[in-house]
Amino acid sequence: MERAEKIGLGVAAAGHIVLFGLLSVGFLDTPNPIKLKQNPVEVSLVQDVALEAAAPAATEPPSQRVSPEAGEPVDSPPPAAAPPAPVPAPAPVPEPRPEPRPEPKPAPPKPAPPKPAPPKPAPAPRPEPKPQPKPKPAPAAEKAPSKPAPTKQQSAASAPSKAKAPAAAAKGNGKTETATAERAKGGRLGSDFLKGLTAEKSSAKESDAPPSAARVDARALAGIQQAIARQIQPCADRQVDPGPGANQIVTALNLRLNRDGTLAAVPTVVRQSGVNDDNQRYARRVVDLGIAAFKGCSPLKLPAEYYATANGGWSNINYNWKLR
Amino acid sequence: MNPILQTDAATLSPIALFLQADWVVKGVMLGLLLASIWTWAIIIGFWLKLGRTQRKSAQFERDFWKADDIDAFYKSNGQSDLPSARVLAAGVTEWRRSTHGNVIDRDGTRERLGTVMGAAVAKEIDDISDRLNVLATVGSVAPFVGLFGTVWGIMRSFTAIASQQNTSLSVVAPGIAEALFATAIGLFAAIPAVIAYNRFGHAINRIEARLNRFADGFHATLSRQLDGER
Repeated sequence: MERAEKIGLGVAAAGHIVLFGLLSVGFLDTPNPIKLKQNPVEVSLVQDVALEAAAPAATEPPSQRVSPEAGEPVDSPPPAAAPPAPVPAPAPVPEPRPEPRPEPKPAPPKPAPPKPAPPKPAPAPRPEPKPQPKPKPAPAAEKAPSKPAPTKQQSAASAPSKAKAPAAAAKGNGKTETATAERAKGGRLGSDFLKGLTAEKSSAKESDAPPSAARVDARALAGIQQAIARQIQPCADRQVDPGPGANQIVTALNLRLNRDGTLAAVPTVVRQSGVNDDNQRYARRVVDLGIAAFKGCSPLKLPAEYYATANGGWSNINYNWKLR
Repeated sequence: MNPILQTDAATLSPIALFLQADWVVKGVMLGLLLASIWTWAIIIGFWLKLGRTQRKSAQFERDFWKADDIDAFYKSNGQSDLPSARVLAAGVTEWRRSTHGNVIDRDGTRERLGTVMGAAVAKEIDDISDRLNVLATVGSVAPFVGLFGTVWGIMRSFTAIASQQNTSLSVVAPGIAEALFATAIGLFAAIPAVIAYNRFGHAINRIEARLNRFADGFHATLSRQLDGER
C-alpha cells in the first residue's frame, strides 16, 4: 500500500466518523419531530344523540281557572246583599230568620244566575217542602252549601233540611262548573280553589312520571336502534359464530320491553333475510344466539321519553339482529 | 449520549438506526460502511497520486526534451519512480543491451525498443489503475446490497405489523426508517465510487496517452541514434 493510499484511508475513515458523529448528535435532525408524535384526541361518546328530536307533548292541559273574576258591575249589588245572608245564616240557625228574608233572597239569585237557580229550587222544594211549609230555606241552602256545608248540617235541625243539604251537595259535586260560575261572580274564592288544581296535577302525574315525547321521528328511532346495538354488543360478541355464512343472516327480532328496559317477553322472529342454501342450517341457531344476546344484556338503558309515543316507541320495537 | 440515541427514534441518528436494525441489516450496513470507507480511501489516494504523477511527469518530460545528453540525464533522474522515468529506464536499458556487442542489428533493436517501452507503459498503467476495479465494483454492487437490506428490513416491518395487528405510524416507521437507511448507505458508497471511477478512468487514459507519446518520442530519438552509429 502506497503512502498516498494510506493517507487516503486515514482521511476517509476520519471523514466517515466525523460525518456519522454529526448525524448522530442531531446535526441534521428532523426539524420538528413533534409532528411525528401522535397526540391523543379526546373522544366523548354522546349517548343521547337525536333522542330529543320530537317536540314534547304539552305535559298537562291548562288548569281550569278557579280564581274569582273581578266583580262585575252588574252583579255587585246582589252579592252585597247576599254576603250578609250567609254570615248570619250559620249563627242564627233557627227558622225565624229565613222568614223575614224570603223575598230578598230569591230576588238576588234570579237576576244573577238565571238558569241554575230556577231549576234547582224546582226539583228540591217540590218533594220536600211538603212536610215543612217554608220553602225559603231551600234557596238559602242552595246558596250556602258551597261554603259552610257543615254549618248547614248542624243548623238543619229538622229532617227535611238535612235531606236538602245532601241533595244540594250532590248537585254541587256534579255540576261544579255552574257552582263555580256562581261563586266567581260572587267575587270569592271557592273553598275547593286548590282542590281543582291539585286534582288535575295528580291526574297528570299518575299517567307517566317523565314527560313523553309526542312522537318518535326517524332520527330518534335510529338513535334507539344504535343504543340497543351498542348495549347488546358485549353479549353479541360472546356468541360463537356457528359457521360460514351465518353472519349474512339478518333476523328482525320483535322486542317487547318493560319501562325499566327489561324484556317483557322472549324476542320473537319477525322475518329473516340473507338465508341461502349454504347457511340455511344456521338460521335457527342465529335466532337463538340473538335471543341469548338480548337476555344476557337485557336491562337496556333507553331514553324514557320514547318508551311509548303516539307513533310507537321502544316498548315494542323491531331490531335487526346480525352476527358480526 | 448513547441512551439518547437509542431511545429517540425520531432523530436521523445513524447509530440509533443501526442499533435498532435486524442482524442481517446490520451486516449489510456494516459491509456498506466499510465499502464506503475503502472507496473514499481509494479516491483520496488516487487523487493525491494522480495529481502528483501528472505534475511530475510533465516536469520530467519537459526536462528530458531539454536535456542535451540522454545518458547524463538518465544518470541524474533515471531512478525516479515516475512512470515516465520507468519507461525511459526500460528504453535506456534495452538500448544498452542491444548496442553492447560489436554487431548491431538495427531493425531488431528498433523492434525490441518499441516492445520494451510499450510493455513498460502497459505495466505503469496497470499499476496505476490497480484499485480502479474496486471503485467499479462498489459503484455497481453497493446499491443492490443496500436494496437487499431495505427489502429485508421492510419485510420485517410488515411482519411486525402482522404480529401486532397495528398499522399506526409508531409501529411502522422505525422499521422502515432503518430499512431505508441501508439503501441510503449503499447509495452513499456507490455514488462517489461511480463518479470517481469515470473520472479516474479518464485521467488514466490521459496518462497512458502521455506515456505513449513520450515512449514514441524516445523511440524515435533512439532510432535516429541507431542510424548515426556505424
